[in-house]
Amino acid sequence: MKYVTTIGEREFLVEIVDDNTVIVDGVTFLVDFDSAGSQPVYSMLVDGRSYEAYVYPAEDSLQVLLHGTLYTANVEDEREKRLRASAGSRVAERGEYYLKAPMPGLVVTVPVKEGQAVERGDVLLILESMKMQNELKSPRAGKVGRVRVKPGDSVEQRQTLLSVV
Amino acid sequence: MFNKVLIANRGEIAVRILRACRELGMQTVAVYSEADRHALHVRYADEAYLLGGAQSRDSYLRGDKIIEIARKCGAGAIHPGYGFLAERADFAQACQDAGLAFIGPRPSAIAAMGDKAVARATVTRAGVPVVPGTEGEGSLRDDELLQLAPQIGFPLLIKATAGGGGKGMREVRFLEEMPGLLNAARREAEASFGDGNVYLEKLVEGARHIEIQILADEHGNVVHLGERECSLQRRHQKLLEESPSPFVGENEELRQRMGEVAVRAAQAVHYVNAGTIEFLVDKDKNFYFLEMNTRLQVEHPVTELVTGLDIVKEQIRIARGRHLRYQQSDVRMNGWAIECRINAEDPYNNFLPSTGRISHSILPTGPGVRVDTGVFPGFEISPYYDSLISKLIVWGETRAEAILRMRRALEEYKIVGVRTNIPFHQNLMDSHRFMGGQFDTRFVEERFSMDAPEEGRGSRPEIAAIFATLVAHRETQLAAHVIRRGERDTSNWKWLSRWERLQR
Repeated sequence: MKYVTTIGEREFLVEIVDDNTVIVDGVTFLVDFDSAGSQPVYSMLVDGRSYEAYVYPAEDSLQVLLHGTLYTANVEDEREKRLRASAGSRVAERGEYYLKAPMPGLVVTVPVKEGQAVERGDVLLILESMKMQNELKSPRAGKVGRVRVKPGDSVEQRQTLLSVV
Repeated sequence: MFNKVLIANRGEIAVRILRACRELGMQTVAVYSEADRHALHVRYADEAYLLGGAQSRDSYLRGDKIIEIARKCGAGAIHPGYGFLAERADFAQACQDAGLAFIGPRPSAIAAMGDKAVARATVTRAGVPVVPGTEGEGSLRDDELLQLAPQIGFPLLIKATAGGGGKGMREVRFLEEMPGLLNAARREAEASFGDGNVYLEKLVEGARHIEIQILADEHGNVVHLGERECSLQRRHQKLLEESPSPFVGENEELRQRMGEVAVRAAQAVHYVNAGTIEFLVDKDKNFYFLEMNTRLQVEHPVTELVTGLDIVKEQIRIARGRHLRYQQSDVRMNGWAIECRINAEDPYNNFLPSTGRISHSILPTGPGVRVDTGVFPGFEISPYYDSLISKLIVWGETRAEAILRMRRALEEYKIVGVRTNIPFHQNLMDSHRFMGGQFDTRFVEERFSMDAPEEGRGSRPEIAAIFATLVAHRETQLAAHVIRRGERDTSNWKWLSRWERLQR
């Protein structure tokens, strides 16, 4: 199976030949790969060198935490890559963005109003959790859509708080 | 004389105090909230009693219930730990009134140091230097503060009178932005402490935060245990502490001078038990009294490792009326200790707190490593309390050895289930400025980035790419495998779409 894995600006062509053989950009590596039970901590021996990393699923990507450095990797098989190429550039800047609670907590203030124009980085909501007031910011410019919570509300993790259109 | 101690706290510090009690042969009593039934301090204690709901105000802040439990179970003393009731003079007084020993200072000393204006006035009278500001002036209105601000000079800080931990604190660069910031600070102070009063203080630029640990007995003896460097902070929350301070370093004269001033500050309020005097130190090594923490500090272990003293045991001995076993000349600092606070925070996502169940954890061990923690695999990190998971403390003969040891300990430490700031500490350990001891209280926020690792640091994107690809490959195969099984009553297509929805 062949994959194109992108980390930052770099693309790696990774071919998984069998359980122990991986070819990266034409160079063959002898690999022994295993996870610690069902944990996201993985151990890998690459030509005898031992590595350990966390691999977390994120939206559309995987995050690899290796020796104190976080790498965000996009893994696509060749078919996906071709599909994406033909679809043209992505449309991430369009559509509605839903601000979700990154953790359970208490809504302290909502400094924006429905219909208000916001810039990228503007504070949309302040959520208190673990005795800290956390500013949740807008990832892009737009207009505030429906605000679903008010100060004093307790919210669950991943609960939708408001949207930016 | 008491020999049963109730520990009015939770988490790592409750476990730390339990250990000291055990070693002294004391009986121990834990109290807990509904969220903490399975916590380590409940399991380690000889007795444990439920306080109430998960919210602190229904449990760990219920001084009345805690005193009632202590009386019922026959505990003779209460150790408050840090946070919660530790710096509440009324609670210390209530303990005294109930005939219980409060393992800490007298209520009058807590009150004197707890009101920052009174604290400043008291230590100033004792000849201790303070940072210029309006603190001694009482509670001023906004228009009065705006008038005084130019006299103090910009930049300055708005601070909450009842404050601590950076709550209700704002930095002001020029007069025009001050009214809005005053508003915000008062609002936050009101929400955090139920007291919206604020004061102004000159911002010492390039400042270091260095504190002196003291011990005082009931017989008027006070010693200091050297300094702790606490400049590495984010949003006024300490992240890493070390002892000695690289800024004080070999300057024994400065160390003794700060120590003597700290002792004088403690004596000014007839202080008893363990306490900490925080100083701001400017680049010319002038130091100013910031505040006194009238309790055990989170970062007390670094002092323990370099002095060889057990501060919590000393606290208990002092509360039992004993004389200090050490004179100033007996206190020697040996080697170097560093503590990293391991928090459930995601350093790659603006340090947002992370909650969840710890499914897996491997603690670093080996020579020179100490871990103080209250969590274990299966423990739930809840949003009700602070995000401290553990304190990782190392000792080395030299600062260099301590840093190298901390690096290897951080790499060994594995916590699964919540995101932690371990990668932040790893980056910090590799930072040239940290290694060179070249940092002040603004270093983390202004000159440190998780995205731009130091040059020469081994970057292994191709290894990361293999990890990611193999994990993705496994998941694809797993999905294909699951769907191939023909045991379902619905069609595979329907099942697949349901499965995909579940994964979202």
